[in-house]
Amino acid sequence: MTFIVPIGPQHPALEEPAHFRIEVKGEEIVGVDLRLGYNHKGIEQALSDRSYAHGLYLSARVCGICNSTHSLAFTRAVESVAGIECPDRARYIRVIDAELERIHSHLLWAGVAAHEIGFTTLFMLFWRDRELSLDMRELLFGQRIYASGTYLGGARVDIKEKDIPQLIRTLDKLEKSVKHYIDVCTSDRTIIARCSGVGILKKKDALELCAVGPTARASGVDLDIRRDDPYAAYGEIPFDVIVEQDGDVLAKVVVRLREILESIEIIRQAIDAMPKGAIRAKFPENVPENEAVGRTEAPRGELMYYVRSNGTNKPERVRIRTPSYANWPSAKPMLVGGTIADIPIVVASIDPCFSCTDRVTIIDTETGKSRIVTKEELRRLRK
Amino acid sequence: MNANEVAQLIKRYADDVKIVGARQVFAVTDKERYIEALTALRDNDLKHLTTITGVDRGENIDVIYHIHCGESLLNLKLSIPKTLLEIETVTDIFPGATLYERELMEMLGVQVKGHPDPRRLFLPDDWPAGKFPLRKEAKK
Repeated sequence: MTFIVPIGPQHPALEEPAHFRIEVKGEEIVGVDLRLGYNHKGIEQALSDRSYAHGLYLSARVCGICNSTHSLAFTRAVESVAGIECPDRARYIRVIDAELERIHSHLLWAGVAAHEIGFTTLFMLFWRDRELSLDMRELLFGQRIYASGTYLGGARVDIKEKDIPQLIRTLDKLEKSVKHYIDVCTSDRTIIARCSGVGILKKKDALELCAVGPTARASGVDLDIRRDDPYAAYGEIPFDVIVEQDGDVLAKVVVRLREILESIEIIRQAIDAMPKGAIRAKFPENVPENEAVGRTEAPRGELMYYVRSNGTNKPERVRIRTPSYANWPSAKPMLVGGTIADIPIVVASIDPCFSCTDRVTIIDTETGKSRIVTKEELRRLRK
Repeated sequence: MNANEVAQLIKRYADDVKIVGARQVFAVTDKERYIEALTALRDNDLKHLTTITGVDRGENIDVIYHIHCGESLLNLKLSIPKTLLEIETVTDIFPGATLYERELMEMLGVQVKGHPDPRRLFLPDDWPAGKFPLRKEAKK
């Protein structure tokens, strides 16, 4: 006989409420069901009610962690429909912005992952060093989290020459720490015991379920939009796409940490190659009827914006496909066959956000079926 | 696969094939050929469905399949009239399409026949049936 363990939707530590119903037989997980939508804000509709300039700010607010890459993907689609090319200097500023975001997002995730396996010291260390990348975002773009350096037709702020030495010094410091963390994560007994061979996503499943980002790359799927569909200045900066073959949680840790080293190298190259000149091209008020897709590699994977314009200053339709959304189907093969104790780290390994209290789930012990009771029904029961 | 190769491949199954900005292919297919087209893409090792977009165009609803083709992106459009909003599921070709098709059903009211799990995805349990938030008439 199986039991249902409800997990979610609210969890104070993580940003995205999702509700899991985990079907267990003893300790073993035999089935997974997922409920989404607790955080659905109707942004796609809201974007088509606002002008492109307003939409830029709204798109950055789809996700706090990924604000730079969201506004970049939106801008990329909007610039394509409007037929605008952004100046060269701005393309490099966008790369620096996006890579600083990747560094802070991956370190944030690594801290959360360490916390999930009860390794609080490492969590503190990761988050201490994440501060360095946030300081750099504040230095260059004026804000720690909502840096979002992209603007329609270019960049929002210019990078000042006097800030570059400090940026380089901080990157050196970060590089040293991250190299040390890679050593720790691949040699520490606790981490290996909790992460190695756990939550495996096979390459076949990753391909079939259309997984993206580090989740797919840790399973041997060579997919990175920065290389496959270069945007900003990525076409001119050589870098490696980090791919691991094992597909377990440890592989996902290693992929993300090694990606931080790549990001540091990308920023260094971008600083060296950045030309002087204007940072913004004029963006027209009204955009002719057209359609386009803008994709970026967000820290969590491929992010896609589809924009359809209709000749006015507002888009007719904007469609957003975020990377965590694409990775949800992969959670099932990763969890099934594992144990209840591994749920937090396995779910966290795809870097979404999951939760731990729930509405009431009732399980009928005779049929083994369960159903969720709504708030209204509970109110009626109380009377 | 680069944009030219994708355009060559899809030509048999779609009209109005155009390449935009060197890396994006837009094509318009129809109800008779889209399953064949998607199967052919899958058989050519293009297994990554980025997403499915639904756009309300007034009389019709455009369903766009975005397929990542390595060096390029194919946007395969299928236009269906609001009088007969029915398409076949593509989850047997791209298992990753499950959530996208569920979203298409609840947000735009497109019936996806043969879907293995046609429950709501994002909308709450007490959302009225027959009301589709991304339809143009829902704005009023």
